[in-house]
Amino acid sequence: MSWGYVSGILILSGINLMTVLGLSLLTGFTGLFSFGHAGFMAIGAYTAATVTMKLNILPQSMFWLHFYIALAAGGLVSMIVSLIIGRLTLNLKGDYFCIATLGFGEAIRLILDNVQYFGGARGLPNIPTQGTTTLTNVIIINVIAITVLVLIIKSRHGRNMVAIREEELATQTIGIDVFKYKLTSLAISAFYAGVAGGLMAHYLGYIQPIMFKMVKSTELTIIVIFGGLGSVSGSVVGTILLTFLPELLRSFSNWRLVLYGAAVILIMITRPQGLMGGKEFSIKGIIRLIEKSRHKGEVKS
Amino acid sequence: MSKKFLTLISVLLIFTMIITACGDTGTSAEKEKETIKIGWIGSLTGDQAVWGTCESNTVKMLIEEVNANGGILGKQVEGIYYDTKGDAAEAVNATKRLITQDGVVAIIGPNASGQAISISSVLEQYKVPDIATVATNPKVTVNDDGSVKAYNFRVCFIDPYQGAVAAGYAYDRLGLRNAAVLYDVASDYSQGFTEFFEKTFAEKGGKIVAKEGFKEGDVEFKPQLSKIKDANPDMILMPYYYKEVALSANQARELGIDAVLIGGDGWPSEQLMTMAADAIEGSYVVNHLDFNDPEVKPLQEKYTAKYNLPMELNGYMAHDAFLLLQAAIEDAKSDDPVKITESLAKVTVQGVTGTIKISPEDHNPVGKEAAIVKIESADYIFQEKYGLQ
Amino acid sequence: MSYFLQQVINGLSLGSVYALMSVGYSLVYSIMNFSNFAHGGVIMIGAYIGYFCLTLLNVPFFIAFIISALGAGLLAVTMEKIVYRPLRKRNAPFLYFIISAMGASIFLENIVIASPIGPTFRSYPAIFSTTPIMLGNIALGRIDLLMFIISALSLIGLMYIIEKTKIGLSIRATSYSIKGSTLMGVNVDKVIFIIFLLGGFLAGLAGMLFGMKYTVYPQIGNITTKSFIAAVFGGLGSLPGAVIGSILLGLIETMTSGYLSSQYRDLLAFALLISVLVFKPTGLMGKTTEDKA
Repeated sequence: MSWGYVSGILILSGINLMTVLGLSLLTGFTGLFSFGHAGFMAIGAYTAATVTMKLNILPQSMFWLHFYIALAAGGLVSMIVSLIIGRLTLNLKGDYFCIATLGFGEAIRLILDNVQYFGGARGLPNIPTQGTTTLTNVIIINVIAITVLVLIIKSRHGRNMVAIREEELATQTIGIDVFKYKLTSLAISAFYAGVAGGLMAHYLGYIQPIMFKMVKSTELTIIVIFGGLGSVSGSVVGTILLTFLPELLRSFSNWRLVLYGAAVILIMITRPQGLMGGKEFSIKGIIRLIEKSRHKGEVKS
Repeated sequence: MSKKFLTLISVLLIFTMIITACGDTGTSAEKEKETIKIGWIGSLTGDQAVWGTCESNTVKMLIEEVNANGGILGKQVEGIYYDTKGDAAEAVNATKRLITQDGVVAIIGPNASGQAISISSVLEQYKVPDIATVATNPKVTVNDDGSVKAYNFRVCFIDPYQGAVAAGYAYDRLGLRNAAVLYDVASDYSQGFTEFFEKTFAEKGGKIVAKEGFKEGDVEFKPQLSKIKDANPDMILMPYYYKEVALSANQARELGIDAVLIGGDGWPSEQLMTMAADAIEGSYVVNHLDFNDPEVKPLQEKYTAKYNLPMELNGYMAHDAFLLLQAAIEDAKSDDPVKITESLAKVTVQGVTGTIKISPEDHNPVGKEAAIVKIESADYIFQEKYGLQ
Repeated sequence: MSYFLQQVINGLSLGSVYALMSVGYSLVYSIMNFSNFAHGGVIMIGAYIGYFCLTLLNVPFFIAFIISALGAGLLAVTMEKIVYRPLRKRNAPFLYFIISAMGASIFLENIVIASPIGPTFRSYPAIFSTTPIMLGNIALGRIDLLMFIISALSLIGLMYIIEKTKIGLSIRATSYSIKGSTLMGVNVDKVIFIIFLLGGFLAGLAGMLFGMKYTVYPQIGNITTKSFIAAVFGGLGSLPGAVIGSILLGLIETMTSGYLSSQYRDLLAFALLISVLVFKPTGLMGKTTEDKA
């Protein structure tokens, strides 16, 4: 495979991974299910693109900083919106919350379709692609994102979120502010999605509301579950695999998505805890795994 | 063996698959130097699949013919077709794969503006030309500042032209004064068409009495149409694809609206006739060509005989894009992408949708006049070639 | 006034399309507590079965109805067996069911596209005259009327099965508590089989009616997002709730298009739905999902 092509897929994996990491916190660790994260990506994409295109805050030589500021702005605006949405809807349970997020995602798209300042449905072209969403930048941002996420999860707050996923009522009873944690989790995931949107805008050089359809949200959620709920390394492996899979299947032409659908079902029924099943990658773990299987083999023989 | 171990192995297996896939293509690319590779991208799945499938079928058919006649420049032609799902990021991936891995000399497609705009930077990076089929957004071939994109071409006219032609014809030739518009808010094509129709129609002195929107995927248009009926227009502009056209036209007639319907290049299809022949009787369509032109018939017949499917409009555009590319390769006397790019703006070909000559300033075909078609007894009856004065 | 009445009729007709689809959702939800996103795929297959019965086999209209209901029912049951049963046996959380269902719906949509059927739009042969019944200035479509009647009849039939028959009793028991009803000797596998069969029947009917009224294409499943919303709005797991939610959604959408703005229709409709949910978090008639401490 040629590098130009592979690096393209890697960049795309990195962009997907940003949203997946956020969703992993929301779905995997806090147990909330969102259909609207494409909406947060859209907000991030349009904000970041506006910052790089319409604001000339820094000299050209500092463009990389300008780009990072744009991404952060995209993330922040998404986050602010998510706080408003969260305040209204986080008291809803299960599928009712799902519908609220679905409605939000579609509403964002409809607004962008109608607002001519951003080009409406015809989209926003000519977003700078040079020196913006490069593989290096994507890797740097993802490393930061993963580190921050792991720190959150390992902290007291992260454990509280897991507690909410497992036993919401019990968590409430012991005096943990469930609503606050849900809101924090949603806000962080929205920030991640916003940054991913910004990266996407500068990778394609063009954004259009139709790119942020509900299908995009479900695709990302599928990745989270595929990787394994409550596992950051699962999200990483899952994202890379599921971004590469459709590319590997490219030569199957229109049978590609049939196979993709079948693969999703297959992994769910054969391995319902997802790829990593709440476990994390570590050298120790792998050694233990090999020893364990050898041990089992010995017992059998 | 434990299950975890099995999973680990399967993950490793997939990675090996990826790596072996690398090895394979590397060697095959060198082996097949004596063929000319042409790429096609577009929707083979997703809601645009009908059009994408027809395009890729047409290109396949043409390549077979060319090869049977000795190929181009004495070399056999190989077509490589990738699905984009209608998604811009997928289009970028597919383009990168076509260029850097498969080594194509030029790309035909995609059929939507969003994807055509997104792949520009990739084309520029690798200096390979692309000929879009029905991407009608002006921004496909020119930048925001008006400069031309070096490697983006197209064989169709653009939204502003189409919208203005529809408005001009309705006002000047048909004498219609009160227009209603129903459009797809989520579609770039529909929004562009509407914008320029409104502009020209208002400039000429006509009045837009109602402007209603729907969202892609909708099947029920009666609420909007009831509102339009209340505004009592002479005509309704329906700037979207034929599935929605059929549904909305039928529903309009059911509500008792008898205004003239006017549409664009999303309409032409044999399917439209089976779906809504009665409702669209007497409507006018801004088309790229006259379907009953004796020069067009053989292509239709060949296609239908081969695939047992009616030919969609995209097939004609893909046909012309391929002809243009073939001429350019022959003119360049080389399969070097950069030389082909230079020749694309030089050659003139006689396509089924008219004479195609690309303008070097904006990479759009020059002087392509729209064909106005009227629907009479379930057929597209050619009226006249109509340009803008 | 006639404008208002016309919009009411438009709203009811749209609502009955949603209703026929959302009942299938709610039926599965009432037992399994997850949203069966593959329902849209089953509806789509039902529409194709009906189409091919009428065009290739030339069977009478009524028989085509039965065949497409049976075919869709069979598909739904098969899917339950392959896709959901293994998950159920492992007591997997509801998220996995949802993802599997999404996988199944991607699979169904694309297998139709890849198969010789292809992505082409197909229209049913004209069975009824499309000239509407005119009540003064108000148009009432014949297919709309038929759709309304069939929706109502099949819903009444369904309610009868659930409320009056023995299997209905076990369905109701299972919907209160799977464990409890197992202890009382209810065969849960059988109940779930019946649920999917009934859901499939309805999907087949819905698909065929949808095809007749509009057209047949592989993406029909997408419209079920709307019926999903309607089912949630009405209160998940409640059949009357699903019907009322659907009719209301149809009316709300129609009225916002008719009186406010068709461009912002979904935005306004969603805002209204969400504000209802804020005050009534389990929908209009939903069973409470409060955890038992």
